[in-house]
Parts: sequence; C-alpha cells; structure tokens
Amino acid sequence: MQFPWLGALPVLFLALVMLAPVWRLGLEARSGATLGMVADLWRDDYLRWRVVWSFLQAGVTCVAALVLALPVSWVLARFMFPGRALVLRLLMLPFVVPTLVAAMGVLALWGPRGWISAWAGFDLQDTPWLLLYGNLFFNLCLVVRAGVDALGQVSAARVAAARTLGATPWRVFWRVEWPAIVPWLASSLCLVFLYCFSGFGLALVLGGQRYATVEVEIYTLVAHELKLAQAGVLALCMALLTGCVALAYAWIEQRLSTPGRSDVIALRRPGGVKAWCGVVAAMLVLVVFCAAPLLAIGARALTAGQDAWAGVLDAESLRAIWNTVRFTAVALLLATALGVAHALAARRSVWMRAAAFLPFVISPVTVAFGLLLLYPRLSASMLMLVAAYALLAYPFVAKSLGAALDNLPAHLTQAARTLGATPWRLFWRVTLPLVAPSLRRGMAFAAATALGEFAVTLFLSRPEWTTLTTLIYERLGRPGQANQDSALVLATVLMLLALLAFLLIEKPVPPDRHAGRPHTGDRHA
Amino acid sequence: MLELRAIRKTFDDHSGGHWVLADGLELQVARGQTVAVLGPSGSGKSTLLKIIAGLEAQDGGEVLFEGVDLAGVPPERRGFALMFQDFALFPHLNVQDNVAFGLREQGLSRGAARERALGMLSVFGLQAHARHKVWKLSGGEQQRVALARALITAPRLLLLDEPFSALDAELRASLRQEFVTHISAAGITTVLVTHDEAEARAMAQKGYRLVAGRLQPLW
Repeated sequence: MQFPWLGALPVLFLALVMLAPVWRLGLEARSGATLGMVADLWRDDYLRWRVVWSFLQAGVTCVAALVLALPVSWVLARFMFPGRALVLRLLMLPFVVPTLVAAMGVLALWGPRGWISAWAGFDLQDTPWLLLYGNLFFNLCLVVRAGVDALGQVSAARVAAARTLGATPWRVFWRVEWPAIVPWLASSLCLVFLYCFSGFGLALVLGGQRYATVEVEIYTLVAHELKLAQAGVLALCMALLTGCVALAYAWIEQRLSTPGRSDVIALRRPGGVKAWCGVVAAMLVLVVFCAAPLLAIGARALTAGQDAWAGVLDAESLRAIWNTVRFTAVALLLATALGVAHALAARRSVWMRAAAFLPFVISPVTVAFGLLLLYPRLSASMLMLVAAYALLAYPFVAKSLGAALDNLPAHLTQAARTLGATPWRLFWRVTLPLVAPSLRRGMAFAAATALGEFAVTLFLSRPEWTTLTTLIYERLGRPGQANQDSALVLATVLMLLALLAFLLIEKPVPPDRHAGRPHTGDRHA
Repeated sequence: MLELRAIRKTFDDHSGGHWVLADGLELQVARGQTVAVLGPSGSGKSTLLKIIAGLEAQDGGEVLFEGVDLAGVPPERRGFALMFQDFALFPHLNVQDNVAFGLREQGLSRGAARERALGMLSVFGLQAHARHKVWKLSGGEQQRVALARALITAPRLLLLDEPFSALDAELRASLRQEFVTHISAAGITTVLVTHDEAEARAMAQKGYRLVAGRLQPLW
C-alpha cells in the first residue's frame, strides 16, 4: 500500500520547523560576517580549543567504545550463559535514559561528592575523563548492540570452512568475522561520533569550563552573551560537519541493506575457565560503564533523606512533573502522526528516507536557536515548544516503522489482496498488526526523547513551563547539599518516568515473527 | 474459463537491457480443469500467476475469465485464490483466523467465519491446531492450512505457485495426492506452476512449458 501524498505533512513540518530556521541561521551568520568570521573563530584560542576538543572527545569516545565493545559483543554473540537474554534487553536502558540523568549518574560516581571520589580521595571534576565516561555510558551499549547484531549475521558455513582449512579461532575472527562486521561497526561509530560531537546535556553538566563542547558554546553565546552572529557561524559550521558524518553513515547503511543469513552460528555454553573469565570480564565492562551510573544515582537518591523526597511533592516539582508529562504526551501524539505519515510516504522515495534522518543531523541547539531567530513572536509559545519536541522525537517513529515496512514480506500483502482485502482492509488487518511492535518501539524512543529533552527546553521554554530536566539543572546550579540531593531525587523520578513510558509502550517482538535486520541506531540525541 | 490473450511482459535488467517474460503468451483453461505451467526457476512462472491474480500488470494483452476482460479489476474483486510457495500465512493470526481471513473479507461475521473455518480445518484433520500460532505448525501442516484458506472462499480460480517446493520428498508425494482430492472435490479451475514435471503430470490434465515468453504444450 503506497501513500505518496502523506509525505506532504512531514515535508511541510520539516520545512517550517527545521529547514527554514537553519536557513534563517545562515542569514544571521552572513549578516554578521562572512568567511572572515570563520577565520577569526579559528584564530581565537578559546574557540579553537572548543572545536578541537569537540572533535577530540568524539574521536576518543569512538576508539574507546570500539576497543571495549568488540570483546563484549563477541562474548554476547557466541556464548549462551544464564542471564544473557536479560543483559541483551538491559542494553536498551541507556537509550531511554535522559542525558541529564546520565550526567547526574556520572557525578554521583566521580563528581566532587561521588562515591568513587570519596573512596579514592580524588574526583574527576574539571578533567576530560568525566565527559568521556559519560559519553561511554551512552554509546558503549550502542556499539555492543551493533556488534552482537553483526556477529549474528556471520555465516556459520564460512567459519566452518575456515576452521577446516586450518585457521585457529583467533585467525577465524580476524580473517572471517572481522571483515564481515566492520561495516556494521563503522555505521555505529558514525552515530557515536555524531551524538558525542553534537551532544549538549552531558557536555554542559560534565564538561565544566574547560571541557565543554561547541554546542555548549553556542548556547552560551546566544543565551548569555547575545552574540548571535558568532553563534550563527558556529552553528552552521557544526551543521556542515555533522552533515558530512551523517552522509558517511548513510553511505555505510546503504551497503548494509542485505538480507539476514539463515546459517547463523549456534550459541555455545562457555567451556573451561578461560571462556568463563571472558564472560565475567565482559559483564564487568558493562557494569562499570553502563550500569554503575544508574545504580549510583538510584542508591544516592535512596539515601538522600526524607527532605529531598518530600521535595518531590512541592509545588515547583509537581509543576515540573506535570509539564514534562503533558509536553511529552502532546509531542508523542504529534510525533506518531508525523512518523507514520513519513514512513508510509517513504516506501518508494529515497529522498523521503533521507529526510527522516535530517533531525538527527542538525543538533537541538541549532534548531532551537534557528526557531528563536525565525519566529520571534512565537518564542516561548507552547506551539513552538511542542513542535520542536516532535521534531526531535518523530524520526524514531519514522525509522522504526519504515524498517518494519521494508521487512514486511510482500507475499503476505499479496495473499491478503487475493483473499479479498481492499487496500485499506489490508493495512488494517495485516500490515498494521505486523508492524505494530516496531511502531510501539519507535514511540517508546520518541517518548523517552521528549521526556528527557533539555537543550530545546532551555532555549524555548517560559519560566512557568519548567520541566524536570530544566528544574534538575537549576537545582544543580544552586549551592548546598540539599539542592544537590533534590536534583538527584528529581533525576531518579525522571529516570523512572522514562522507564515507565518505555515499558508501557514497548513490547518485545516475538522472535519467530518476521525478523528484519535489527535497528541499532535508535536513541535520543 | 480462463483465457490469456497475447500477454506481453518485460522487465528491465540491471545492465540496462530488457528481459522478456511473456511475448504474445496464450493460454486457455477450461472450467474445472487443472493446467500446469513448467519452467526453470527464474523463468517468470510466478509473475505469470501474479498477472492472472491482478497483483502484477502486464505490458500488453488481455486476461479474461468467463469471457470478461479483467483489466482494471483489483485482486480482491477477481475471486481468485493464490497459494504461495512459502504459504504466506499471517503470523499475527492463529490457524483458525488465517483460514477465516477471506470469509471475513467477504463480509461474514467473526463468529460465522470462525465456525466455517473450523469445519474446513476438520476436513484437513487440523481442527486440533485451530488455536495454534501458524509458525508452530510443521511444513506439511502449514501447507494444508494454506490450501484450506484458499479453498474456503470457494474461489473461481485457484493459482498454485510451486506449492510443494518447501517440503521434503516424502511429504510432497502424500500431500500432492491430498491436494488433487480436495481440488477435484471442489471442482475448481486451477493453474499450477512448478519446475517438477512429475508433480505437474500427477496433478494436471494439461501441461505447458514456458519458453522464450510463450507456452509450448507438453501433454
């Protein structure tokens, strides 16, 4: 069933809420200066360090994530051990945790009053390690998932052939498995680079004065220094750079669109001490980098004391919770409508497929800044705030649903047609039930994105529209342990809300139902 | 009676040329008759069935049924049933609801459709599996469900696309006889495409080979 006309809705939305604001940003940059300003920015030691550090932290995260994820992925893809299925499911957790919650978790471990800091006698505040650790928390799971999926596609027959030709398991890995999984890993690393390079929340909270990134600098220039032209030039440069990485990602993804293999390598029980040591080490890596911040934030919140928990019920917190929930609900409705329309329209249009990726390319800070410039009368209006939320959330619905529609076997729809189903009945009775799990998954990511939205809210919100993320950030900025505890408790509430939304919406797809290529790029920016 | 007149169908190949599936293809199938079309894999036999079913448009020529040109008639209005080589059972429905699918599209209530589906399943010895998910059935059982689903709507024409290719040799032989019995009992006009000549001879009164876009009579 084709719906090309449905494309008008998301195209119009993208044009109004993303492309036009970015265009306006370009005009602002040109009005302030031309290429000369780019050169000036580069000559400025302070700004040059911001750009270099943005690249550096993204690059280092990619390398570290690859080194750590490769053995972990191999263990998860090849060994069957108790709790493996649970671990694979828990790998989704960082995808739904709001960035600010993650930042709080990192601080709870390594911050000035963090657990590990207290135990070790030093903290990582004002060092690059804090941000790098936060980046790894978010992105290690993404690369591990990509690695597990990729290793699952390796042909058992090829591995067996290599073994019979005299290759040791180690040689088999490098000569058969590694070449097969490289494109998958490269694809996931492009995403990691993109997220780290254009990330805002983590860099704002964990970067401090010295290790904040360009995105934080753009926010500072707009919100605190009112240097719009300079911010515009920086934002445009960022959009161009992220666009290049996104193109590389799209190029690799296109080469990955091969059907899954049927002769998959069977999982085996770890045999011997060496294998078990490998399993334990892999799980330790996941605990240290992915679980520890979440456990720390939960534990710190539980020990925060009654006053901090009672604060959840004060008027300010309740209003923030209410705002978070209602903005998310409205944005989710809009994002679902846009995502469904986009996915249906994109079935035969390469351009529409590429367009679904656009909101990932332009950072939330750039979008919010552009919206402020283009629609000054609508600044701090509910319409613009919800539209910006929906812009960031709807690609998850479009991409998840689009992948499911691609994987829907053609013979099922053909069978339904020959059995008398009209196109509408076919959609209602066959297509929709089959793609519903993917639609729900996309909606779950969209909900998590909206719940944890931070950058856009900072730019476009009114004081009375404080959400949980902005309230947490505000409390973090206030002095005193009570405010820190309050921020921790609110972060826990936000994490629970995100988990609740995810569990309510997302339901695992039964393994025997039509299985498509796993989609590892889902997460919020 | 099904009649194909001067059917033409070409596809663009990857090198920029054309691949001719049908070039003035003619076929006549009398009412109640079973006709087999033979040809190697990739010769376009399945596409021919899709043209008859209305799922694929021909470049030229006519498809007529009972003397009526079917041009512009959508698949759901033709009253034909197409059985796919991998059965195409709906994974989100149980066995009974798969069989009842076409009846619901004909406007029957859910209860009535399910009741009739259960009756059809008992004909195929599958009533015990009515509530099972289709993917839990064996290949032979899935094949029977697919035929039950096709026959329950009393189609005017049954199109079988390599119906036994996914099964092992032993099961194929026993199911072939079962199919012949059911189709004969229902008296349905049938077009079977297969690459297996023995299978075609066992099931069809007439056989053709698809060669260079035309059908050559074999028996």
